[in-house]
Amino acid sequence: MLWIALHFPHLSLQAFAATLTGELRQGPVALIDNHLISDVNAAALRLGVKPGLKRNTALSLAPRLTLGEADARRDAQARQALVHAALAFTPSVTLEGLDVLLEVRASLRYFGGLPCLLQRLEQALQPLQPSVGEAQIASAPTALGAAYLARWRGDLQQGAHTEDPRALAQLLNRGPVTLLGPAQAHWDDLQGMGLRCIADLRQLPRAGLARRFGPQLLADLDSALGTRPDPRDWQLLPKVFEQRLELFARADSTEQVLQGAALLLAQLVVWAQAGHGRVQRFELQMLHEPRHRSDGVSHTVVEVALAQASADAAHLQLLLRERLGRATLAAPTLELRLRCSDLVLGTPPNEELFPTRQSQQEGMLRLIERLQARLGRERVLQLRPQADHRPECASRLRPWEPPTSQRRIEEVAAPVGLAQPAWLLPEPQPLTERDACPVLEGQMLQLLSGPERIESGWWDGAGVARDYYIAMRPSGALVWVFRGRLALPVAGKHSGWFLQGRFA
Amino acid sequence: MPAVAAHLAFGVASSAPSLPAGLLHGPGPMEVMDLQELHPGLWRAHQLTRASGVAWPSGFAALDAQLPGGGWPQAVLSELLLAQAGIGELRLLAPALVDAAAGGKLLMLFDPPAQLSARALDGLGLRVQQLLIIPGQGMGERRASADLLWALEQTLKSGHAGAVLAWLPERLHADALRRLQLAAAQHEGPAFLLREWTAQQRPSPAPLRLSLRAGGPDCLAVQVLKRRGPRLAEALLLELPPVLLPQQRARALAPRQRGVPVSAQPVNAAVPHEAVSGAA
Repeated sequence: MLWIALHFPHLSLQAFAATLTGELRQGPVALIDNHLISDVNAAALRLGVKPGLKRNTALSLAPRLTLGEADARRDAQARQALVHAALAFTPSVTLEGLDVLLEVRASLRYFGGLPCLLQRLEQALQPLQPSVGEAQIASAPTALGAAYLARWRGDLQQGAHTEDPRALAQLLNRGPVTLLGPAQAHWDDLQGMGLRCIADLRQLPRAGLARRFGPQLLADLDSALGTRPDPRDWQLLPKVFEQRLELFARADSTEQVLQGAALLLAQLVVWAQAGHGRVQRFELQMLHEPRHRSDGVSHTVVEVALAQASADAAHLQLLLRERLGRATLAAPTLELRLRCSDLVLGTPPNEELFPTRQSQQEGMLRLIERLQARLGRERVLQLRPQADHRPECASRLRPWEPPTSQRRIEEVAAPVGLAQPAWLLPEPQPLTERDACPVLEGQMLQLLSGPERIESGWWDGAGVARDYYIAMRPSGALVWVFRGRLALPVAGKHSGWFLQGRFA
Repeated sequence: MPAVAAHLAFGVASSAPSLPAGLLHGPGPMEVMDLQELHPGLWRAHQLTRASGVAWPSGFAALDAQLPGGGWPQAVLSELLLAQAGIGELRLLAPALVDAAAGGKLLMLFDPPAQLSARALDGLGLRVQQLLIIPGQGMGERRASADLLWALEQTLKSGHAGAVLAWLPERLHADALRRLQLAAAQHEGPAFLLREWTAQQRPSPAPLRLSLRAGGPDCLAVQVLKRRGPRLAEALLLELPPVLLPQQRARALAPRQRGVPVSAQPVNAAVPHEAVSGAA
């Protein structure tokens, strides 16, 4: 077995900092656990705020300090994103506290050895860095051993200890006793007994240790050294991606919403990549401030559907930006939820070095997606011919759909001998009549061809019976007019002539 | 060198290399001959420019002969001003559109003023599957919506559309047109703006402006208002792909005996003609 442990020393702090808006995040930030400062960022450290201080001490040192309460649920969510990232490398992923452990022996050959795999892993963790912070990575032949090494030092990714349990034991011997979880509760006792590193602990009689500090301490030590079996529960990739982000301050503008959504989108892409798929559609739910709920709007849902599935965070964010620009926010947003269940499985298409027809097509699809996101699906249209002889029914405008190889294109046989104009009026325009000729805008029309009779549609209640003529305006422009053959209910008002279209 | 300077028209092509320093100072007679070869943005006032890129043949030899580069220019806007909507503009543009769509690229229509007939477009050789229509906000809107201009700009900028046709209103911010012109530099196919006749009073950054009016049955009178080259005084009369059969056309051209008394010839029809002679 070869284990890789991912330890994030500032995970809780970063998970909190991710909920802050830009300027607050740059300022001093500290996390409070059990009334004591548990972690601080660099800006707070410069002001002298250290872990272990009391809240009031910290505030007197840095009055503009942003304090956040530790939240186990928030930490677990940040960790969940890490699990998704790890699942792209191996199906054997397990948890140890807030650390994520990967068993990668079976994946080594595929990724080209441990160094390459570690490099890829670091790349995969890069987009998540804003919400989890810097990683300490260590490898070892046992799960707990790897976790302890990762917590202890950041430079133990590769070495003799990754293969050889004895080398690991030698290395761990030098580690502080506090690495062992149960030892932390007995810190003062161990300190008093002069037990500083694990080697000191291993020299003592086991029975006495178990009696003083409980059996778990020795059990953990044995598991870390590989002398005791260590069965584990494996993490599985959920079928539906659902993550939430509670914002520290309410977001009034779409820009602030987007900032938070960017973190969620990065997690979404990591999830999609772990499932070897691409995102087809996702929805962002914005939960509003409760006092605005009187008008009944508790949340706004924005759905983004892609014409072509993508796992490109920048592209998804661009689409969300256009879509949000169109949405109206009823009230300030407190919490964001991102949900996605439509994953398209399969390898993504290859990227092209030079522009080809394929990449051209893809660029076009992306453009259309952007237009759809901003204008709405109902304003990016396609013309579809219909099998109908009535000119107003012969073509329909439909929302654009990506071309698929399966779709059968309805072929409509072109009628013979009937010239139709490219431009049709949405509604036939009634014309007046003078000397038995139709009159358009005060100009008499000269009938040149016709009549062509179209009599159709009796079955759907919109039956027409018309004689069509091509007519010429005095300027020479050709128009398409018809005379209704059915008796008109208001015959007195109309001449029976209508303008149907223009030969553009 | 004042005589030579007056003899040259100086234009700036968007993608052209910069002028060599000292070009306009003291060239000898031989150099004068070569001057126009130095830069695609230079041409003699009595000549057409050479095309800086590929031009899209319009399919009408008489028109190609008058367009710089021998066709509709690429990477710039071409503005068509219509005396009336629906006088044959699609039939005029169809050959170039068919060319531009040949590689499976999309033809994008922005805010077309009427419904389109799939059958008629098919008859013009345009494949309906390759059309993408972005309707305007509402019918009869006098101002182009910001969304529409945004979509048009993005489309031109992306460079992925085959050809672009946009029906824009007469009133349009000069900024908006300039932005579109800049965005069009990325666009490979032809880009047409179709606007109302009266827009010719307003300045436009488009390097090619034509005005169109009906010139008889199945004919279109095209007046070149602006091009990179000398002015063209007389209008071109182009024969469009016919809608009418030959005998019907003959009937249309024959003096009218029946139905329409000669005295009833409306006066309104003359308005576009006057406008042309006024502009020329």
